[in-house]
Amino acid sequence: MNSIEIKNLSLNFGDVKVLKDLNLSVEKGEFLVLLGASGCGKSTLLNCIAGLLDITDGQIFINNQNVTWYEPSERGIGMVFQSYALYPQMSVEGNLSFSLKNAKLSKEEINTRVKNASEILQIEDLLKRKPAALSGGQRQRVAIGRALVRDVEVFLFDEPLSNLDAKLRTELRVEIKRLHHKLKNTMIYVTHDQIEAMTLANRIAIMRDGLILQLDNPKTIYNFPVNKYVAEFIGSPSMNFIEGRLDGTNFEFDELSFNLEGYSFKEKIKANSQVWLGVRPENIVINEADKTMPVNCDVVVEVVEPMGADTLVWSSLNGKELRFTVEGNKIVNIGDKLNVGFDPAHVSIFDFETEDRL
Amino acid sequence: MFKKAQLERLFVSLVMLAFVSLAISIIGIKPDIFQKLQFLFLTVAIIFVTLIWAQSKTIQFNSNRLRKQIFGWLLSSIFSILIWSFAQKDIQSIFPSLKGYRKALNTLEPIAIYLAIVFILFALILSIVGARDSRLDRPGYIERTLVYNLSSKIAAIPMMLTSVGIFIIATLWTVYHSFTNSRMLPKSEFIGLAQYERLWSSDRWYMSIENLAIYGACSLVFSLFIGFLLAALLDQKTRFENTFRTIFLYPFALSFIVTGLVWQWILNPEYGVEKIVRSLGFESFVFNPLYNTDIVIYGILAAGLWQGTGFIMCLMLAGLRGIDQEIWKAAKIDGIPMWKTYIQVVIPMMRPIFITTLVIIAAGIIKVYDLVVAQTSGGPGISSEVPAKYVYDYMFSAQNLGQGFAASTMMLVSVLIVLIPFAYLQFGRRKYD
Ligand SMILES: Nc1ncnc2c1ncn2[C@@H]1O[C@H](COP(=O)(O)OP(=O)(O)OP(=O)(O)O)[C@@H](O)[C@H]1O
Ligand SMILES: [Mg+2]
Repeated sequence: MNSIEIKNLSLNFGDVKVLKDLNLSVEKGEFLVLLGASGCGKSTLLNCIAGLLDITDGQIFINNQNVTWYEPSERGIGMVFQSYALYPQMSVEGNLSFSLKNAKLSKEEINTRVKNASEILQIEDLLKRKPAALSGGQRQRVAIGRALVRDVEVFLFDEPLSNLDAKLRTELRVEIKRLHHKLKNTMIYVTHDQIEAMTLANRIAIMRDGLILQLDNPKTIYNFPVNKYVAEFIGSPSMNFIEGRLDGTNFEFDELSFNLEGYSFKEKIKANSQVWLGVRPENIVINEADKTMPVNCDVVVEVVEPMGADTLVWSSLNGKELRFTVEGNKIVNIGDKLNVGFDPAHVSIFDFETEDRL
Repeated sequence: MFKKAQLERLFVSLVMLAFVSLAISIIGIKPDIFQKLQFLFLTVAIIFVTLIWAQSKTIQFNSNRLRKQIFGWLLSSIFSILIWSFAQKDIQSIFPSLKGYRKALNTLEPIAIYLAIVFILFALILSIVGARDSRLDRPGYIERTLVYNLSSKIAAIPMMLTSVGIFIIATLWTVYHSFTNSRMLPKSEFIGLAQYERLWSSDRWYMSIENLAIYGACSLVFSLFIGFLLAALLDQKTRFENTFRTIFLYPFALSFIVTGLVWQWILNPEYGVEKIVRSLGFESFVFNPLYNTDIVIYGILAAGLWQGTGFIMCLMLAGLRGIDQEIWKAAKIDGIPMWKTYIQVVIPMMRPIFITTLVIIAAGIIKVYDLVVAQTSGGPGISSEVPAKYVYDYMFSAQNLGQGFAASTMMLVSVLIVLIPFAYLQFGRRKYD
């Protein structure tokens, strides 16, 4: 059953087309992450779902009900904002109960709901405080609580953790995951942060210029990106791209040639077409023994960036830049000549013109 | 009996009290009494220095910084003594050229004595408490008040002199002379409360107060309400917002006199609204508020609102713009109706702006004068008199300074009655916020 279904959604701000004929369906209980560069329309899409923006065209269904022209409060959604957006003059309790009081719920009902929510979010001790007297993490918990008490079907998060420091972000990320596991609500979560996206999502939607480029589970997106943009966007350090010609299963560039037997092509390839070869840094390994990897080449190390658990090596392959990671305890020096290799099953090949996956 | 810090605080207060007495005696209010008072305060201050010394029992000059400071105060004190000595007859007979400056020196003399004593006391107390504090490695109250950030204190002196000079001394001077029978020139002949008796038995004063109350209450309520309403309307992403804002703000650029004249014409039966409506055919239409003793103050109110509301609107609009858009979104999702969001969320968030606005409106109310002069000159009869006009008329036209001072003192008292609890609330609360 679909919890949210968006059909042919368009949204223009005057002449600016922000969302273009967008389709999306989210299953009940699913955690969907919207990921994309700044300005690609993630917040706009979320605001459309919430009913905070009047859409130009299309339809929105929540729980199989056409809510396109419903008020935000009637849609059965709760939303959590980057800036928390708590009511500063009210205590935490006031913040949590404001919507319920306004909806004229009974006192007991309000009390039980506030109590439940504050137990789940562990903010029972803070109920009497004003938002100004809370830390960022606590404020964001209260903001989540405000959505929680309303007993809604769908949670919308707009970069909820962006204002927090790295450590707190990790903590709250885990907590949101736990919350989702417990409540089993549908959640749509906007973020810039790949790690948040990869760890939280059931499915990730990669957006660009108001369109969804790929919508799939994190593993598939990571391993089989549908085009070069997605491949570049996901993964840090980002993928290596080598421009060359594809002749059968032979990839040729400069004087070098790799045999890519083992790569599963989506379609039959024209002979001698120009392509991008994409290899993730972590799929490249140094050949210890005698050429264990099917594809091999010699590189010269140029820069070494130790990052603790592993080390990122920037090297030069015939003058082209090639990044790869090695284990942190491995000693690599600038100027070293190394033989590295990778498995063609783990590469991605994109058409040079359309940049789509082949 | 006292803690050291309390003693130090009392000492500084005594020095200040002595200064106030000195200032009062210089401007000529009971000079003999206040001069004695000044020396009394200074004597007590000296006793306090000994008390502080008795508690700490150390006089040390153990840090370089401290030595420099003490030296500085002593030097200033010697300088003051020098100035004082120039005012003495014996010295003047030795240096005849000083006689040319006799008048200036005579004025400076009491200040010079005061400063000489105070500077010596400062040097003394620094050598006592400064020693203790440098041991603790933390400057004490005296050092903090006297020496810390000295350059900023020096920079603040002109401002302090002006505010002390104008607000405190001039106010005291006014209050003092309201008990005298000063007419064209200030005199010091006491007549007790006679000026106040006369004031409170005057119909004109009663009328002024009644008018001020009506004008004040209405203008407070309406300019806040209309100003906020206009701002809230403009905040709804209105088209031509800039145009509207400019139009609403235009009257504020006019002086009260011009506003008054414009509204006098508008309300004038011969060429204003009444004339226009009559020329449309409603021959019996009557609209001449400025000639009706019962409602003339509302005619003035209309002009005041027309001029002031645009500015209030701008203040409110700035406040509204400062509210995070996500708050509005959150309220919408929570299903709070817009008016309720304004009342329960937005207006409480705008508290500082409201306080500023309130102060501005209140100041405008108290000083309303030119609007009345331009529109009605207080007429018909005395029906549109206001207190500021009463004060002005008695001081400069009727040449009865005493009566004018009594009226302005009453105005001051009423402002204080309103302001003190308000300021108390305001500053008292900040501690807990
Ligand atoms: N009120 C508006 N009027 C005109 N254009 C707008 C308006 N709001 C947003 N836009 C445009 O719509 C596009 C999408 O904005 P949106 O806020 O959805 O981006 P986003 O993906 O959330 O970016 P970020 O990650 O920085 O939050 C942007 O190019 C922005 O310039
Ligand atoms: Mg955004």
